Amino acid sequence: MMWPEYVTVAALISIGLYGVMAKKNLMKIFIAISLMETGVNLLLITIGYIPEGTAPIENGNFVKYVDPLPQALVLTAIVIGLSVTALALTLLIRYHSKTGTLEYRRGMKW
Amino acid sequence: MVMHPVLMIAIPLLSAFIMPLIKKAHRYFAFSILLLNTALSILLFAKVYNEGALYETIAGFSPPVGIYLAVDNLSALLAFLINIFATINFLTSRQDFRFSMLYLLGVAGATGIVLTGDIFNMFVFFEITAVASYALVASKKDRKATEGAIKYMILGSVGSVFMLVGIAIIYSQLKSLNLYDIAARISSMDTKMMWLSFSFLLTGIGVEAELFPLNGWVPDAYEGAESNISSFLSFGPSKASIYAIARLLIIFSMSRTYELALYLGIVTLLVGELAAFTQKNTKRMLAYSSIGQMGLILIAFSLMDKTSYAIPAAFFIIVSHASAKSALFLLSDKDGFGDMSSKYAGLAGVLSLIGMPPLAGFWGKWYLLMGVADEKIWAVAAIIIFSAVIEAIYFARYLYKNMEGKESSRNSIPAAVMVSISIVMGILPILYNMAGGVLNA
Repeated sequence: MMWPEYVTVAALISIGLYGVMAKKNLMKIFIAISLMETGVNLLLITIGYIPEGTAPIENGNFVKYVDPLPQALVLTAIVIGLSVTALALTLLIRYHSKTGTLEYRRGMKW
Repeated sequence: MVMHPVLMIAIPLLSAFIMPLIKKAHRYFAFSILLLNTALSILLFAKVYNEGALYETIAGFSPPVGIYLAVDNLSALLAFLINIFATINFLTSRQDFRFSMLYLLGVAGATGIVLTGDIFNMFVFFEITAVASYALVASKKDRKATEGAIKYMILGSVGSVFMLVGIAIIYSQLKSLNLYDIAARISSMDTKMMWLSFSFLLTGIGVEAELFPLNGWVPDAYEGAESNISSFLSFGPSKASIYAIARLLIIFSMSRTYELALYLGIVTLLVGELAAFTQKNTKRMLAYSSIGQMGLILIAFSLMDKTSYAIPAAFFIIVSHASAKSALFLLSDKDGFGDMSSKYAGLAGVLSLIGMPPLAGFWGKWYLLMGVADEKIWAVAAIIIFSAVIEAIYFARYLYKNMEGKESSRNSIPAAVMVSISIVMGILPILYNMAGGVLNA
């Protein structure tokens, strides 16, 4: 059992979700989203992890190694998260220059 | 000719990044790429129709290890629809090379979602489409567009996190990312784990597919964006993601998941149509009406396991909505249908959306009602007819308001071409009464 990892994952995603729903400041919302992304990346790494496994590099002598696929997925997910965060910060700069604030007031309008 | 579906993703993706180098001729270049993609999608459909479903491995790794593309009749047709509407819509663009770049990225991503056979690959294409759409919505640079894009982005990013959690749960149980491999072995998964991953995936994709509790971004983003971008959103990302939900339903194929999708579709339909009924702003009304139509498509897909009418129904509603609603969004930059082509596009588009014969929208609702009648779920039939009546009322109001207007949109000719596709697609099933057979093969 690797329960500390899974508890951390659950905590990161829940804190992030709380931040997205409860905070009004857009910067805090995007920080919360980054937290959620980190939580998912940790989840993927934990799924692929084998106790005492080494890096998945094929060098002739067969050793116990961790599942390489989740690591590739996490690499992709990190890059996607980076690009989303970069675009978000650009939009926040423009939002600030248009409205003079980072508070989001419009909310759900039907 | 050797037809590789991967070209349809690779060519626009590559040329998107060439755009900054050829700032001057970017419009001609992007247009010819889109035209080429449409031609490729016709060839792809011809091949899939003649030879059956097509599987292409990438980089020489055979499935289930490698990433691969899986194309059947429906996905080839959807790839064709996305690309042809993208080509027509591109004619209306007056923006600079950055627009062309993002637009090609969005088209490549939406085509990728439809053609891929790997769930993580699907996630990557979702992100490509989503990031391109956020930037496209924000490209208008005023306050409303920025707010809409930020709202879209918050919900979209949370949705993508949920989708990735769902993928991680499936991978932890089955050690596979291949859609067909997952579908074959899904029954060996624990029922609780299945529901957990299904809920996460549905929540994640549902944001893009405009399903009910997750669609708070839709009116703001559609209203804020430039009218040709609202049009792109309504035939590109949303159609690709509703198809992804259909694939998800096929993979999990439990009767309870179909039932959940049916309820979700009904709620989305009712909420969208009722909200559209109360709107005064044209673009917001069209956006809410889109939500309603997405609910209708989901209802059609959720009957997939019960009746053979479901897939033709969903296909025709997708055709009708992608052509007519995109055309109406193109016309929405001015209040009024001044010239003949915008009068034609507006009228035919509205008739197709309401479901008048012989337009594509009629066949969609016809097949859907046939399917519902087969199953004898009369409550659903009543809801569909009720929503069609509401739709007719607010579209009549919309037509009345616009026919009076003297101004006319600059996009009226591309809009008329788009609507004509809906008419052609509506007359084809009369010409040869085989549509059901073609789509079920």
